[in-house]
Amino acid sequence: MCCSSSIARDKATMGEPEAFDISVVKGMKFFDPHVHMTSRTTDDYQAMADAGVVALVEPAFWLGQPRTGIDSFRDYYSSLVGWERFRSSQFGIKHYCTIGLNSREANNERLAEQVMEILPLFIYKEGVVGIGEIGFDDQTAAEEKYYRLQLELAKESGLPVQVHTPHRDKKKGTQRSMDIALEHGLSPEQIIIDHNNEETVKEVLERGFYAAFTIYPFTKMGNERMVDIVKQYGSSKIMVNSAADWGISDPLAVPKTAALMKLKGISNEDIELVTYRNAINAFAQSGQIDEADFAGSVSIDQSGKFEGNTILRGGQQPRTDKSSIIIS
Amino acid sequence: MATDNYKEISNLFFDILQDNLNEASFAWLQHAGKASELTKLGQSFVLLPRKTGKLIIKISSNQLKTLEKLELTTIKEWTVDRLARVWLLHSQSYQPAGKAKAVIENLFLSAEVNEAVALYLAIPFLSEPESWINQCTEGIRSNIGVVLEAIMENNPYPSKYLSEAAWNQLVLKAFFTEKNINNIIGLAERANASLALTLSDYARERYAAGRKVNPALWQLTAPFLDEKIFEAMKIGLQKQDTADKMAITEAIKSSDYKPAKRYMEDLAFSESSK
Repeated sequence: MCCSSSIARDKATMGEPEAFDISVVKGMKFFDPHVHMTSRTTDDYQAMADAGVVALVEPAFWLGQPRTGIDSFRDYYSSLVGWERFRSSQFGIKHYCTIGLNSREANNERLAEQVMEILPLFIYKEGVVGIGEIGFDDQTAAEEKYYRLQLELAKESGLPVQVHTPHRDKKKGTQRSMDIALEHGLSPEQIIIDHNNEETVKEVLERGFYAAFTIYPFTKMGNERMVDIVKQYGSSKIMVNSAADWGISDPLAVPKTAALMKLKGISNEDIELVTYRNAINAFAQSGQIDEADFAGSVSIDQSGKFEGNTILRGGQQPRTDKSSIIIS
Repeated sequence: MATDNYKEISNLFFDILQDNLNEASFAWLQHAGKASELTKLGQSFVLLPRKTGKLIIKISSNQLKTLEKLELTTIKEWTVDRLARVWLLHSQSYQPAGKAKAVIENLFLSAEVNEAVALYLAIPFLSEPESWINQCTEGIRSNIGVVLEAIMENNPYPSKYLSEAAWNQLVLKAFFTEKNINNIIGLAERANASLALTLSDYARERYAAGRKVNPALWQLTAPFLDEKIFEAMKIGLQKQDTADKMAITEAIKSSDYKPAKRYMEDLAFSESSK
């Protein structure tokens, strides 16, 4: 979630752009564990597929302006498991999601109560790999209340939790999120603490939580800083994501970061862990991820094959040539 | 059809499920289908694949015979969660209190892709199937390939219950979205003049855009061939698509429309005298 940066940022300060050369990570597979595809175009899906993104997690979040009724929430959650999942499949990308009440809208208590009532209908659906993204924004009492209620839901369902950490007063907010999760009897391995930075990562890892890093221009991590973090803290329990959404963001953040890590001498094994494997391990605790569905393995399960065939018959999204002036 | 053979279908589904599930998941399903569990129908339906897995079912030769008799052979391609979901909705919809309808309506509102497929496959097997006509009509507006297939292909519901307008919409959209037309049940029986005209207009649009036409379209126009439809056919006959030309020729042969027949005779004559 972002941000209030301006498009009119002084271009002079950005220096000469360095081209993204995908060839250094050619053949690698990527898993983006946090990306809001409902806000993105089919060009983004195509670019992600071309860059090696084979699967992703779309957390339920705030839509940039507050919703005013329960039906808007219901329709949003069903679009995550319905239309968006289908759109993604047309580009050969396996789409998972996490379902939850985001922190900002937890402050509308009248609506939050109604959302809590419909959540159980969604969290047990196929491909729902966690409760998320939940946690603190302003760190109000209402935010804490619904964070705790949703942690109980995670405990009951055995699902992982994707925790959004606040932009302001981040360090305290992160500590508090972890304290409360442990207080509710959840195991740290079940929790992915998101949007970490240099200030928060040490404690998150030491306490045994997963540490996710959002590579997002201006307001969150840059990927050069990310490379330094992997050099310092290693690759265990660390994952990167794009959190691409309706703000200025980059759906190729994961493959780009992998390429940068490669150029900076980080080993293939470590790159694979932070851009693919760790995220799968974390979210597979839901029992809803079968790697064969997206890893191109021959041992595709029958239902996957069945669906795959039907989708192909229905017409895999044909490719368009963007460089051509002819549209036919 | 489904509702006429309630007991037979119920027993058959139950039998197949018993063969395809382990003891624990079969017991869970059996319990979920009880009248006392109606209040939990929504949740049971949603989390069902976690209990049953998603393998394609195996069918004994006896079961296959019964499926053939009931004209439900394509069920043998279903996954076990799909069959279990259909069985669960089917059983609960026949509970005396009739409370399942509101729950099922809500399931449609929040369905993910596989759930939506199971729901549309289930409607022919629900009690009072005619109460799902609007839902089925709405489903045709879906843009999700597998959901459309569930409604259009091998589903006995639409041809039996949909209004002519909704049926025509289904057939047109099936051509539009390149579904397997041969799998639409009741296609020939429900052919009608309005559909024939719409399809020939659709063919003209395709020709104008330089695109191909699915030749299966023409047989549906044959009984209603008139001047307008024939105009569209003539465009097709001037193109280079052999399969399309053959289909048009066949349609004209099987029709009673004299001007078209004469046109074909003249065409054959001029070809042979070249």
